[in-house]
Amino acid sequence: MMRGSLIGAVIAREWRTRVVKRSFLIGTLLMPILAVGVLAGTVLITQATDTTNMVLVEDAPGLISRLDPASGQQVPRCPGCFPEREKLTYRFTREAPADSIWLEEGFTVLVEYDGSVLQNRAGYLVYDKSPGTTAKRNIERDLSKAMEHARVLESTELDWQAYQRLKFELNLIDREVNGDMARVDGGGEEVRGLIGFFFSAVLFLVLSVYGGMILRSVVEEKSNRVVEVLIAAVRPEELLLGKVIGMGAVALTQLVAWSVLSTLAFSAFQFVFDTGVLGAPLPGQGEVPTDLLTAMAENELTSILLDINWTLMALSTIGYFIGGYLLYGSIYAAVGGSVQSEQEGQGMVLPIIMPLMFAYIIGSGAMSNPEMGALTWLSWFPLTSPVIMLVRVAVGVAWWEVVLSWMLLMLSARLVLGLAGRAYRFGVLHTGKSSGWSLLLQWIRGHGRS
Amino acid sequence: MTNALSIAQLEKSYGAQRVLNGVSFEVPKGAIVGLLGPNGAGKSTLIRSIMGIVEPDAGSIHLEGRPWSREVVRGIGYLPEERGLYKDMRVGDQAVYFARLKGMAKADAVSALRHWFERLEVEGWWDKKVSDISKGMAQKIQFICTVVHDPGLLILDEPLSGFDPINARRIIDEVRALASAGTSILLSTHDMPSVERLCDEVVMLNGGKVVLSGGADALRESGWSGQQEVVFKGNDIAFTNALGTLGHLDSITTEASDGLRRAHLRLRDGVPPGQLLQALGGAVEVNEFLKIRPTMESLFIQAVDQTAAASSAS
Repeated sequence: MMRGSLIGAVIAREWRTRVVKRSFLIGTLLMPILAVGVLAGTVLITQATDTTNMVLVEDAPGLISRLDPASGQQVPRCPGCFPEREKLTYRFTREAPADSIWLEEGFTVLVEYDGSVLQNRAGYLVYDKSPGTTAKRNIERDLSKAMEHARVLESTELDWQAYQRLKFELNLIDREVNGDMARVDGGGEEVRGLIGFFFSAVLFLVLSVYGGMILRSVVEEKSNRVVEVLIAAVRPEELLLGKVIGMGAVALTQLVAWSVLSTLAFSAFQFVFDTGVLGAPLPGQGEVPTDLLTAMAENELTSILLDINWTLMALSTIGYFIGGYLLYGSIYAAVGGSVQSEQEGQGMVLPIIMPLMFAYIIGSGAMSNPEMGALTWLSWFPLTSPVIMLVRVAVGVAWWEVVLSWMLLMLSARLVLGLAGRAYRFGVLHTGKSSGWSLLLQWIRGHGRS
Repeated sequence: MTNALSIAQLEKSYGAQRVLNGVSFEVPKGAIVGLLGPNGAGKSTLIRSIMGIVEPDAGSIHLEGRPWSREVVRGIGYLPEERGLYKDMRVGDQAVYFARLKGMAKADAVSALRHWFERLEVEGWWDKKVSDISKGMAQKIQFICTVVHDPGLLILDEPLSGFDPINARRIIDEVRALASAGTSILLSTHDMPSVERLCDEVVMLNGGKVVLSGGADALRESGWSGQQEVVFKGNDIAFTNALGTLGHLDSITTEASDGLRRAHLRLRDGVPPGQLLQALGGAVEVNEFLKIRPTMESLFIQAVDQTAAASSAS
């Protein structure tokens, strides 16, 4: 049998014993259902609670409204200050009825203030159920503009038209100078940083969980005494490589299964949503989007998902997963070979995972400042690059930096794999009393070479 | 004829401790060679050196006349003393896995394993998990995994540990059958009766050195110091008179069942057993005349004691 086939046999065993297992199947099926369930829940709950707000403005001093003789109703003095908004309509009155009455009349919110509002800039928002932050912000914005209009009218020096002409708001549009010294559209770094961080967090989790599984697998082979038979047939380095690749294949299988099942579950939810099977809008709900993508775009949280370049991020994640996994998986395996029990191994995990945790923490900081200088160095350093570079890829980075960083990672992984194989060989066949760090130190010093 | 295994001047040290000190011996083709030695004698290190698990400092290992290589070693059937199976894996699956690591194609492995499972009467355990089978059953599976690829050389380290007497006999029979079919076997064990029953040759290690080696029969013969057992019918005085100066009588006891007398004696140096038999023939009725050769255990203890005495003297 060729050496490749031997490693292939090891890979196949590692993969088969973990994938053909009830717990793996349940975990793989459950995760996408939960993820799409959370998304569906967010969209549906948002829709259910996102009712049209009928706002009654008690304009006691008559600052922003006047009586329209034709209709006998209070109407805004500045109609343009109340642009047409979805799910927000206004009525004005000089004197509001009791709370029970305006609530019974179908109003959801009452705004009240007195004549001092122009000085102290404060009023009350009264409701029985919160209208939500978006609605509150819009009400504040509209009423502020109407008040502004009232103040201008009070002024003897300005009229509203002149004020509108003089009023100035600077709008800065992001333009970024790229590597070719050309200006391109910029901005949105924070959102993109968040997206990158999401992927690096997934990678951090996968590297930690599956690294731990490698450690347990090695300890198991030591404790159930299978290892000596294996080492007689396969070189320790090959066994370690097969184990790391096999476990990596399990992780990839799960990631791919999650992606496919999530897409299917998302499509199913989209179909159900778009065909209106979920039913008509609830009473008082007003107009609701009839397709899922529009509904997601209207929600602050779910709209981020639509900004993701899934293909680019998936490719980068897979590339850095392979490198990071080989690097950390080898270290986990070497540590597994040096300990006598899983508990002892768990005690040694923290120092190994420290650089990755450090990268994770820095990565979370990078969301608010994705172009800070330290990120560049950390995205090249192999122990932190798998997590950090994903944030930079999401924000935008020169291609040669990604290639350089990935090559450094792969080279380091190859080097560590070789060293880990030797440490593993020394560790798994060691029968003395020393174990853990002391055994690894013994190996590093070259004592008791096998 | 080419030996299945030739070891010459093998040396191995762990730090300051020399574990193998110029070990040399051969395993002829088709022979069963017993590797004996007290704990810490260097047996496991020697076997691990052959298997490429540890790297010797000096010396050479030849397999089937070819210098040691990983590819040649893969053909060896190796049953280590420290052995086990994956608990959560099905018996059949892991047997196939081990066979594949030994270079067998999957279909061949399944076919050969089915044959061996039937032969050792464990065919019903193919789909069971190891955690569901007994220790003795697991030992049988390990034995099957060792021999399934039809190895030219078998290295068995304490193969009978964990077996009840019935299954131990079964394994001994299988080992004999394999040797009869031409498989060469290196058997490391502390179980001296099995060495006497199985081994054609013996190599004894102590302190990392070969202290005794040769054909099992020849070693026991050379260790014979004149002990004889005679079962006879007749008078004790007549027996003693007939023995005369040919040897020294140790004891005479009466057999409870039939009243026969059983005598233990030691012949004088140079006196052949035939001469005693001739002398006794005229005095008593000799029913049994047995040459009492030393057991492997006594040879083993004697060799260890001699080495200890020699090293303390030096």
